Amino acid sequence: MATIELQDISMVFGLNGSNHEALNKVCLHIREGEFISLIGPSGCGKSTIIDVVSGLRAPTTGRVLIDDQPVTGPGTDRGTVFQDYSLFPWMTAFENLRFAIEHANGKRDPDLFDAEAERFLKLVGLEKFRNAYPNTLSGGMRQRISIARMFSLDPKVFLMDEPFGALDSLNRIYMQDLLLRLWTRGEKRKTVLFVTHDVDEALLLSDRIAIMSPSPGRIKEVIEIPFERPRCRKTLGAQPEYLALKSHLLSVLYCEMLDDLDRQLEEPVAGGTPA
Amino acid sequence: MSLPLRLTPTGTAAVVLLVATLALATLVPDAPQQAISSNIVFVGVIVFLLAAFVAGLFVYPEKAVTVGDLFLVVSTGLLIWEIAFGKLVLLDPLLFPGPAKVFAVFGADYSLMLTGLVNSLALLGAGYALALATAIPIGLYLGWKKRLFDVAYPIAKAVSPIPPTAYLPYTIVLLPTFATSSIFLIFIGAFWPILVGSVYGVFSIDRRLINSAKTLGLSERDILRKVLFPGALPSIFSGAFIALIMSFITLTVAEMIAATSGLGWYIQYNHDFANYDKVIAGIILIAVVVIVLMFFFDRIQKYCLRWQST
Repeated sequence: MATIELQDISMVFGLNGSNHEALNKVCLHIREGEFISLIGPSGCGKSTIIDVVSGLRAPTTGRVLIDDQPVTGPGTDRGTVFQDYSLFPWMTAFENLRFAIEHANGKRDPDLFDAEAERFLKLVGLEKFRNAYPNTLSGGMRQRISIARMFSLDPKVFLMDEPFGALDSLNRIYMQDLLLRLWTRGEKRKTVLFVTHDVDEALLLSDRIAIMSPSPGRIKEVIEIPFERPRCRKTLGAQPEYLALKSHLLSVLYCEMLDDLDRQLEEPVAGGTPA
Repeated sequence: MSLPLRLTPTGTAAVVLLVATLALATLVPDAPQQAISSNIVFVGVIVFLLAAFVAGLFVYPEKAVTVGDLFLVVSTGLLIWEIAFGKLVLLDPLLFPGPAKVFAVFGADYSLMLTGLVNSLALLGAGYALALATAIPIGLYLGWKKRLFDVAYPIAKAVSPIPPTAYLPYTIVLLPTFATSSIFLIFIGAFWPILVGSVYGVFSIDRRLINSAKTLGLSERDILRKVLFPGALPSIFSGAFIALIMSFITLTVAEMIAATSGLGWYIQYNHDFANYDKVIAGIILIAVVVIVLMFFFDRIQKYCLRWQST
């Protein structure tokens, strides 16, 4: 539905007098309807990129364009799902959805809001938990509601910051399939920016994967994932191409981590120059 | 279905003691110094306690042990009071009246107490409501705007510990009636705890939840009303609870000094005439009123924060 353009995004945080460079001249062009994953070790600035694209944080330099329009703040043209704090704990599942729909649509169609909220609750199979508060639901159910909320807003792009990171592996598989099923439903796919640290998750879901590295956070490499959709989880893992990509991803990620470790061991006072 | 009533050993003891007190009150005459025309109210109180015990077991069968323990403490106290002061007159009967004499006051001064209660609650309600209506929005805004908070914090820290009743002589001069000046004092006393509760309530909200609200495109006004307010509500309730107690203290003290009606006035007035049975009755009345207020407060809090329970 929309293109996302990251132009020379740099982000510097002041930390106890010293400056920490969270992002260094990150450039990325995300095509219309593309599913792109950001993968990398913690501290590489993955989540900072989500914050910048969602408009929660202004970058120190550079800018983000969505459909050639610069991002100036948060807006409902971008739907966001965070790890486990997207929902308001004082609202029931239904109220959370209804609240989001109401605010995204202004005051135009109040009668439709209830019906829409019910419809999206059903879409993720939680109509029985309509009146449950988030605290009483499992982590997986909460994320289903968060995803339903994101879809119900009908935004141009989806921003997902480790949405399944707090779930156990079975739930994670279920959620990945649910997300893929919902995402490929319509004829026009949403553009998705997805943050993860799970290599298999990135390979299963993405059209492209951007590998990031820390200190300062930057994009090290972008790789195309050529598998045709719909992808089958069972057969995908057995393909030699999949295994090659996976080992490449792992080696790039681990290589970085091991280099990092070596550096830390050699000079304990940190601050070494990037490799 | 099995019998829902579970009589614990302490519960049984409580019933035995209450029945013994009842027998003492009805069968054994009071000491001459404590004699009153009718002890019907005291008998009523004992019967009420018995009924309340049974009702408590029905309503909270899972808390039968606690209910039994609680009533045992109350009935023991009542029995000792009755024997030591009502029958044996171990201490000065003027200063230490027996229970029958004290409870008889409720029958005699019924209308005076009721008027006082209504007047007191009207002042309390007005001052407390005023504090809620101002302290919550101001507190939410201060918690939200760091710069404003930094200004308000040292000022609040200096002003808030002043006991509200310290303003009393001055406000009586400034404000036209006792009602307005005591409403003002209750307002001042309740304002600070609610303000602090609201500010810290905002501080305690997960920033990421506020970010989540921002991504939904909420305006600042909507974030205040629909995110910060409900998010801060648990902390606001803690502040409001302290504020309620504070208001009650302020009200009672103010009435003792300057009123012509009300619960505090009733106690002070009877003290002036050395009617200590009435003084004690007034204290008991205040205790009952506080218990009832707390009960309703607790109910409202549980309802409003029902999303917290799992």
